[in-house]
Amino acid sequence: MSSLVVQSGQRLRAGLVAEPAGFWALVVVVLYAAVAGGVWLGWWGGDWSALAGPGWAGPSADHWLGTNRLGQDILARALAATATAFEIGVLVALTTTAIGGLAGGLAGYSSPGWADEIVLWLMGTLDAIPFYLLVAALAFALHGHAWAMHLAMIATFWTTTARLVRAETQRIRRLPFIEAARVAGLRPRSIIVRHILPNTAHILLVQTTLVFIAAIKVEVVLSFLGIGTQDSISWGVMIAEGSQDILAGQYGNFVVASLFLFGLVMAFSLLADQLQDSLDPRTRDSRWQPHG
Amino acid sequence: MNDRRALLAFGLRKLVGAVPLVLGVTLISFTLTVHFGPDQTYALLGKNPTAAEVEQMRTQLGYDQPFLLRYADYLRRLATLDLGHAQATGEPVRAMLARTIPVSLLLLAPGFVLGTLLALFLAALAAWNRGSALDRVISAASVVGMSLSFVVILVGLQAVFGVWLGWFPVRGWNVAGVADYLHHVAVPTLAFIVATLGYNTRFFRAVLAAEMTSEQVRTARAFGIGPLRIMTVHVVGNSLLPIVTRILFSMPLLVISGSLLIESHFGIPGVGRITFAAVMSGDQPVLMAVVGLSAVLFVLAVTFADLLCRLFDPRLGRA
Repeated sequence: MSSLVVQSGQRLRAGLVAEPAGFWALVVVVLYAAVAGGVWLGWWGGDWSALAGPGWAGPSADHWLGTNRLGQDILARALAATATAFEIGVLVALTTTAIGGLAGGLAGYSSPGWADEIVLWLMGTLDAIPFYLLVAALAFALHGHAWAMHLAMIATFWTTTARLVRAETQRIRRLPFIEAARVAGLRPRSIIVRHILPNTAHILLVQTTLVFIAAIKVEVVLSFLGIGTQDSISWGVMIAEGSQDILAGQYGNFVVASLFLFGLVMAFSLLADQLQDSLDPRTRDSRWQPHG
Repeated sequence: MNDRRALLAFGLRKLVGAVPLVLGVTLISFTLTVHFGPDQTYALLGKNPTAAEVEQMRTQLGYDQPFLLRYADYLRRLATLDLGHAQATGEPVRAMLARTIPVSLLLLAPGFVLGTLLALFLAALAAWNRGSALDRVISAASVVGMSLSFVVILVGLQAVFGVWLGWFPVRGWNVAGVADYLHHVAVPTLAFIVATLGYNTRFFRAVLAAEMTSEQVRTARAFGIGPLRIMTVHVVGNSLLPIVTRILFSMPLLVISGSLLIESHFGIPGVGRITFAAVMSGDQPVLMAVVGLSAVLFVLAVTFADLLCRLFDPRLGRA
């Protein structure tokens, strides 16, 4: 069981060494994570809402990337937004993976059976509701609560993970070591959690990175529409501001936020490609578009 | 004869299978937009209503009915397209949809069709020259395209073509003829193509590249059949199943997210904008209709896609 995880790690390391793009992507992601860490530790980005200078000022020693319409420092806002992106990405990705893994494992292990039927029905139903309408309906039902965005993403993203884990579980459960666990009297729950899910680690890892990307991209769209991040700063909020600035001929806010967003998504995409090439090459090219 | 009966049975099975899905999506949309939605009683009453008026309004709205009865009523209203009136304007929701859906279709159809064709073309180029520099460039460009946010593309193109160059209108939908239409649809179309090209090209390339290694393609090449004919007839023809499935599946989702984003940003009076306005103002009848109808349409589209696939490939019926 653990040998497969170790094996995956080895293959991954070999892949990162052989493929420079994946390696540099990892470096960039670590840099972004360090920026987010610095924001959490209060080293920088804490004064993102302060009215620090004149509006729409160009880059200067005080404001490296200039200021927005209200005179807020664009760099501080972009840095603070990096932390927001990681908060949303990590929260949504981990929850999605946990739910998707458990549901997929349960469905695959019990298939054919009523538990499988229920999970399949639930996945089909959630996939059938257009994503932004689900977000809208959830925001509506929760009366605009700040967590509606996270909830909507988790509620829809887990189905992809679950489908992949379900298919893999159906394959694994026929292997002798599962047979042995069953004969030894282990309950289905322990078999799924201790023996099946660890063997889908390659899928879970890749899906976690993909959901992370999707969450960041979708946050931008929702914040742009005004139903995303609230009372905080995010790249989506900055781009929404920036889209108004553009009509006045001011491009700074929009360009900075877009580049920060593009850099992280691009690096994470390349990293996800590398992960998929090393661990799970079959699903690499059928990547779904996260509506954003 | 036998096959036709099998096809009919397959179709019936799929239709029956769609029933729990339709019930599921309508149940969720009912629960979210009607059951948990805001209480409409006071919004619809005048100032200082009496207790009797409140009671009467609640009865009229059906709030005193149990959940299942209200859900059944919701189903009946969706099925008969009895969608009520928008709160903001009092306009019948059906008339609103009839007015806005054509605008959205006109807005998105060019981008969807051109984007799909362009992705297929690039994917065919890459798959034919697999491993070449061209293939690598197309693949790298796909990753770049996948990393761009739809919002960034939209605002960026608006900035370049609308504000900076001033070639196209920055917002609005003032369409009286073909020239106006092309003028207004250009930037949204370009944005839609750029946003979807990366994902589609990569997917199509993988499908086509896999088909390129098949024996019948090798045979066709050995017989000296030209590249264009091999690509269109043998490679694309044989990969039609995953391609059509992907197009059909992405259509409702992309069209709805596309119309929401593009229309609310450019101020175009399509179905996306009335939906967005309904979300912002809490206009329940509009939201209820859009969420319920689009979910049902999606289930029907998926069922239809299954049938279509079965027509292309009779082997699928045996599963």
